[in-house]
Amino acid sequence: MRSIITFVAVLSLCVGATALAQTDSVLVDSAGVTPVQPPPAPVTNLQAVDTDNDHGHSITLTWDLSVDDGKGQNNVLSYQIFRWFPSLMDQVDSLRGERSNARSTMRAFRSDIPRAEHALNELREDPGKLESIRFEVSIPADDSAFVLTTDYAITALQDTIAVMTARLPEIKDGLEPLQIRFEEALAQLPEAHNQYPNDGDWEYLGAVVAGNTSYENSGSKDFTAPDFFPDYTDLYYRVEAVSADTTLRSEAILVGPVHSSGQWFHTGKIPVLIFVLVFFVLTVLFVQVAKKGKELYVRPLAGIEAVDDAIGRATEMGRPILYVLGLGSADMVATIASFTILGRVAKKVAEYQTPIIVPCYDPIVMAVAQEVVKSSYLDAGRPDDYDEDAVHFVTNLQFAYVAAVNGTMLRELPATNIYMGKFFAESLLLAETGALAGSIQIAGTDEIAQIPFFIVACDYTLIGEELYAASAYLGREPILLGSLKAQDWAKAAIVIIAIVGMLTTAFGWPGFAEAFHVSG
Amino acid sequence: MKQQFPRLLVLVFGAFLLFQFFMPHEKSEWLYEYLLDWIIIIGIFALAIGIWSLIRVHVDKIKNKKIGWQYSYVTLAGLVGFIVFGFTIRNGAEWGWYFPFVLSVVGMFLMIIQAMASRAKVAMFAGLAGVFALTALLIGIFDKAFSFHFATSEGLQAYMFVHSFDFILIPIFATMFSLLAFFIASAAYRAFRARSIMATLLLLSAIIVMLRFNPYLEPVFGSYISQTSSWLMNVPNLAAQRAIVMGVGLGIVATGLKVILGIERKYMG
Amino acid sequence: MKRTSLIVFAVVCLIFVLSWVLKAGTIDGDNAIQDAFLVTLASFLTLAIMSFMYKDNAYYKFAEHLFVGVSAAYWMCVGFWSTIVGNLVPRLSEGLSEAFGVPYLGGELDFGFLTLPYPLLYFIPIILGAFLLFRLVPKVGWLSRWPLAFIVGTFAGLNLVRYLRSDFMSQISSTFVPLLVDWHGFGHFFANFSLAADGQFVAMFSNLVIFLGVVCGLIYFFFSKEHTGLFGKASRVGIWILMITFGASFGYTVMGRISLLVGRLTFLFKDWLGIIS
Repeated sequence: MRSIITFVAVLSLCVGATALAQTDSVLVDSAGVTPVQPPPAPVTNLQAVDTDNDHGHSITLTWDLSVDDGKGQNNVLSYQIFRWFPSLMDQVDSLRGERSNARSTMRAFRSDIPRAEHALNELREDPGKLESIRFEVSIPADDSAFVLTTDYAITALQDTIAVMTARLPEIKDGLEPLQIRFEEALAQLPEAHNQYPNDGDWEYLGAVVAGNTSYENSGSKDFTAPDFFPDYTDLYYRVEAVSADTTLRSEAILVGPVHSSGQWFHTGKIPVLIFVLVFFVLTVLFVQVAKKGKELYVRPLAGIEAVDDAIGRATEMGRPILYVLGLGSADMVATIASFTILGRVAKKVAEYQTPIIVPCYDPIVMAVAQEVVKSSYLDAGRPDDYDEDAVHFVTNLQFAYVAAVNGTMLRELPATNIYMGKFFAESLLLAETGALAGSIQIAGTDEIAQIPFFIVACDYTLIGEELYAASAYLGREPILLGSLKAQDWAKAAIVIIAIVGMLTTAFGWPGFAEAFHVSG
Repeated sequence: MKQQFPRLLVLVFGAFLLFQFFMPHEKSEWLYEYLLDWIIIIGIFALAIGIWSLIRVHVDKIKNKKIGWQYSYVTLAGLVGFIVFGFTIRNGAEWGWYFPFVLSVVGMFLMIIQAMASRAKVAMFAGLAGVFALTALLIGIFDKAFSFHFATSEGLQAYMFVHSFDFILIPIFATMFSLLAFFIASAAYRAFRARSIMATLLLLSAIIVMLRFNPYLEPVFGSYISQTSSWLMNVPNLAAQRAIVMGVGLGIVATGLKVILGIERKYMG
Repeated sequence: MKRTSLIVFAVVCLIFVLSWVLKAGTIDGDNAIQDAFLVTLASFLTLAIMSFMYKDNAYYKFAEHLFVGVSAAYWMCVGFWSTIVGNLVPRLSEGLSEAFGVPYLGGELDFGFLTLPYPLLYFIPIILGAFLLFRLVPKVGWLSRWPLAFIVGTFAGLNLVRYLRSDFMSQISSTFVPLLVDWHGFGHFFANFSLAADGQFVAMFSNLVIFLGVVCGLIYFFFSKEHTGLFGKASRVGIWILMITFGASFGYTVMGRISLLVGRLTFLFKDWLGIIS
């Protein structure tokens, strides 16, 4: 939002400046003498409030335009905003600067000392290495005829090391008192602001072009950052309307004290909250309905029904099944859905005693997949058949993973390849290699750009949401089916909203569409 | 404890992150940032588990002489060699005994693996591992030009680390990626053979979009192909993407709620 | 190994050495030998991977296995130096920070009623991470579910709402397209009828397609209602539009992929063989 405001401000500043440049030439009369102008009128109704729906550290100023802005004398070019800073603020800034300098010097010395020592040792052993040492020797800047010799370099290096070694503990010891002074000064900031208008000064913050009626003054929440903005502190602002001649400015209008603080609830996100709540209620409702034993219809999905056949085929052929969970991390919904399908596949596989290979890209996904497969074997009553290495980590570099999985496909010759989860550019490499190797392939992903490749190279493909729905199909558990029903109701609601929205837009009533706007 | 506590963790953290979205306050922001940091740190531990699994699988391959077991040595040597590059740094301009050092470390590791995987001659391989270890140690002590900089963040700037990345990882990565050009050709061929309405629609729109910049068709069709292709990208494509995104969005919300409420817990085994 | 394979192997080795020597002659600088080796190695690895297009072979297997080992090591090194040393150590202990040469970032998180120092805050992920390692010990392996639960739970809450804001809500409101564009009655419409891409008819038709596309697409994704009758027809239109989209996306990607291949061939002919400049 702020960037938009800035952009608009800059843009209008340019436009305003051009317009004023033209007006200027009109104001100059034929004799070439500029008539004396009265200053523009000040802004009215200046208000300063804490910026809403943010984490604090920001104040928004609003005002009504000066009567000379765009009308009247029409001589307002911009509004300049000032804030009152206690002199303690300068002290805080300088302590902060000292502190960060000390830290970076310490860091630099720590890495420079061993490097300089190493260079020194090298030079002592072999003076011929002067050109190749990896440490810059300081040379006199004012002497253009200076030639660097090994002896000079050795002396210079020794001096540099001595200086750095001597200063390092000094800086280190000085850091803690510095930190304490800095924090003490920070703690006194609210008190210092209370002393307004004593012991402080106005500082220029920025300007907005004529025609604008608001300004946001914000800074960092991090007190170690140079633009730190204190919360819960009395702040005072001043706004002046300024004409092209910057000495010609309106009377300053003051506002304050005002505090900034963070909010605990973002009112701009209410549509999202409503949606989540409605969805939550729908889910719970349908889960209850399903639990009561009401039969819920679920449309058949070819890709899911093919899974059982594919496992049977692998068993007949005596070949393994390859299950690829994709490149997603364990928290992605596609991966979570894939775990559920893997659980079902692993259970069948355990029953049929067919080997399964699950090469993993992400170690956490691997850990979860191991749990899933292990418990499926347990459910199938064959915990002893579970092979620890069936689910294994390969590597988490995209194409290294693909190279390895492709190799597995060609060497282990799995009867069925199942790809479920998040896939990126590797989807086609995997699916094509599998197709060339003659395996039956079933895929499912929510990554829109990769779906076409799977459709072309695989026998069955689950598109987008179908992948998520698959977990409910396989489990046939009422609670999972219930949530599927809730999803369908939400979709129906969207269709209705889309129709209503389209109609309201057609009749020129934008209020409905705006209700779906989420800010922040 | 075994079942209930993880569910409680999911509920507490899931619900917190859900509500955190509506709380712009800086306290909630800080907590959010810490939680993300935590996940990254846990991820590193997970990587250790992953590396262990990788080693296990390859040792097992060597042990049972599975298909392609010889190549497992390549993987393990690459793994150890590259870790050595990442954790040591040569400061001098000359290499001295750096490469013999790296080779001894790799040799030591491979001998340990061999000792683990062998059914006979275990003592011999263990002894060889000892010899390599000793060699590495001696080089470390006596090769003055070589120094360990284990404990500095300079590890990642080491010459061999950076160059191995540029000349081993990047070329293979880029070549695998470029193989897509061949694969997409064979995929297109596969699409050509398909005989259903769906496949025909897919193929037709693919052809129109593929031919959009073809200069040879310009005299025949004028700008119709490029205009149709941009219409396809801007209109039906937009509509379908929107439908998928909305469906996926609902799926994400539903799955998120199911996970937080503990309805979906397959991921915990 | 068969005899022919041995001969091929010997020839490959010979070409490798020859290329190394010749390349070293063309490079200036201290590291000419290493650099020549690396460029030659990179080229041979490129060729080895490309040979997969012919069939799976020993050279591909070598490159593949090397790739796996090296990439896993790469992530481990990066993870250690940037996350553990760069991110964790500075917040954990002053002594460790000094040992690793990184600035200590001590501090605390103040809740008003509770103050948590950083080291305490950052010990939690270490403990959770350590629990993950317990997987390797069967007796306490169940503890590894805790970090998994933590990660999945955190992200479930995170994804749920953030996805809604960024994609979902905005997609709904942008579907509210006007079906009548620049409408001045039927007379005006037919009088100015044209099939031009920027004409009134195409604009209205496009909006209609967008609207119907979204609605039919959503209907295709209905799972709990039988796809029969009017509903089934709409769902059918939905899958057609999806297919057209997938085709367009497929065609769009083809060109990009071919340029990647060109990039690789440029490396072989320019950086290694020096045939093109």
